[in-house]
Amino acid sequence: MFEKIINLSCLAILLCLGTLCAGSAIAQDKKPPTPPKVKVATPIPDAAPPGFFGGDGVTSERSVMVDPNVAVKLCVSEGTLKINGWRRDEVRVFVKNGRRFELKELEKSAASGKVNWLWIGNMSEARPGPAAECLAGESIEIDAPLGSYLDLSGRAARTSIDSVKKVKIKIVEGVITLRNITGGINAYTSQGDVMVENSGGAIALESTTGNIVAVEVGPGQIGDLLRAKTNSGAISLQKVEHRQIEASSISGSVLFDGKFLTGGIYNFRTSNGSIKLAIPMASSCTFKATYGFGSFRSDIPLTIITENHSDTAKTVVAKIGSGAATVSLTTSTGSIGITGHKTP
Amino acid sequence: MNGKCFEMGAIQAFLDGEASPELSLRLTDHVAACDLCARVLAEAEEESSIVFSMLEREMNVLVPTQRLWTRINETIEVEKSTAPIWEKALAFVRASLANPSLVAAAGIVIVMGIFMVVVTVSDRTGTEVAINAPSQVKISEAPVTVPAPDRSLVTPASTDSAKAPSVEVSSLPAKKLAAIVTQANARESQRAITPQTADYSTSSGDAYLPGEESYVKTISDLRQNVDLQKDTVLTPSTRVSYERDMAVVNDSIKRMRDVVKKNPRNQAARQVLYSSYQDKIDLLNSVAQREELMATLR
Repeated sequence: MFEKIINLSCLAILLCLGTLCAGSAIAQDKKPPTPPKVKVATPIPDAAPPGFFGGDGVTSERSVMVDPNVAVKLCVSEGTLKINGWRRDEVRVFVKNGRRFELKELEKSAASGKVNWLWIGNMSEARPGPAAECLAGESIEIDAPLGSYLDLSGRAARTSIDSVKKVKIKIVEGVITLRNITGGINAYTSQGDVMVENSGGAIALESTTGNIVAVEVGPGQIGDLLRAKTNSGAISLQKVEHRQIEASSISGSVLFDGKFLTGGIYNFRTSNGSIKLAIPMASSCTFKATYGFGSFRSDIPLTIITENHSDTAKTVVAKIGSGAATVSLTTSTGSIGITGHKTP
Repeated sequence: MNGKCFEMGAIQAFLDGEASPELSLRLTDHVAACDLCARVLAEAEEESSIVFSMLEREMNVLVPTQRLWTRINETIEVEKSTAPIWEKALAFVRASLANPSLVAAAGIVIVMGIFMVVVTVSDRTGTEVAINAPSQVKISEAPVTVPAPDRSLVTPASTDSAKAPSVEVSSLPAKKLAAIVTQANARESQRAITPQTADYSTSSGDAYLPGEESYVKTISDLRQNVDLQKDTVLTPSTRVSYERDMAVVNDSIKRMRDVVKKNPRNQAARQVLYSSYQDKIDLLNSVAQREELMATLR
């Protein structure tokens, strides 16, 4: 009771004070209008127009003698990048209509005395603009020894790399094309396709919205893994000789055209796409096909080991030949199809 | 000096112009007739002239005065800016009370407020009297009950606490009551991330499937970060792809959950469900990966 009285009294007092304040505010003279605030537009670093390469716009070329197994580190802001391996112990960089750059020797080989760790980057420090330390130009060409290891990152770069030892590349936007990489690949692009041809080693290919194509690739040593992953794109693996393959997509399809090797472990997965396998008729593998609302079809005669019978979400375990390889196929709403061809 | 002579203070006031007209008239009449007072007045006037001549420069110069006013104003501004809020409010109220019309309005409002308080209190008193009627006393003697700890409430499936049986408080020791409260708090924390809170939930009343909880919690954590980043990190085209893939994955999860709920022994559905959860985690991670890469290139 007493608390209620106190509360109501406080309410009345607050009401009075509010009325006082309002009356005083009305009684006061009107203040002169304040000048409108004008926002000063500041340049956005990421909003550089196409063709803006930091204002240099020069065509330049530099080269340096390096170790045959040099590690080259660089980043590219934008431009078309072509890297080729050659038989010289030299790195040559050519930038057309772009930023000035420098070749920075990070380390030298104790044995040969040549540079074995090289950094290629922008010359002028504290440059404004996107990816300030990176190369930029209309076209960028780099020649490096065949045994080079490339560590590359970039924003918007259409990249083509041919005939080097090993590549690690991460770019935000752009197509990645890799050929004749013998020592392994780690490639990622958020927006663009990844294509690999005639390469070897442990290979990891990843794209968010692009397709992934791998043709004629194989392991460098036993146990090397081929991993291909995309969200929206399709995956196509042709003539792949890795014994361990993991390929997954969400809304794209997965195609494998090749042969399953003895003892191999193959895992293909897609959520909304289809899985298609084109394998020799004389293959030897054990399938475990799991599908939710899709279908399973095989042109090659199978020996069904187990099969659950339900309206949705079925699993089929089957064997072709002696079942030397293990193949796992999983899709949620897509279909699974196996076709055979006569090539051994 | 005779008894009619003026004191030195009166003479000085006359010289300073501070004497009243009557005093000034009497003093001038007296000085005209009194040699002693005339000499005292002359000496005082001479001293004043000397003093004023010495202070003339200081008194006529305006700069120190302006400077002084400036400093005073600055000090006032500083005090105003550093003054506490309650002092400003008090000053505002004081200034407001200086206005008679506002005071009158405030008085009316106060009277109205007091009137409302009186009316409200009288109404409350009447209600309490009605509650304390003999028929209601029995209700107040009945034991106060709280919901008992029910294992079904631990799962998000049963949220209807009204169905839970009740126990009398008086029959439980204090430690047990504390345990009940602790369990209730734990249930609330468990409800923070549930299949219902995820966007793929089917309907109310779903519990975690075996092995599902870790996926859901991981997705919830990732989603909080991604929702903050995706507007700035993703371009329009990639955003469309992301949303489409997310819809595909959510649909797959939803459908597979329904299948697993109907037939928990369906291992195929369970495998597809977990595969879809993994797809969703990968999808969320792809946004974070892109943001990380862009951050390294700035």
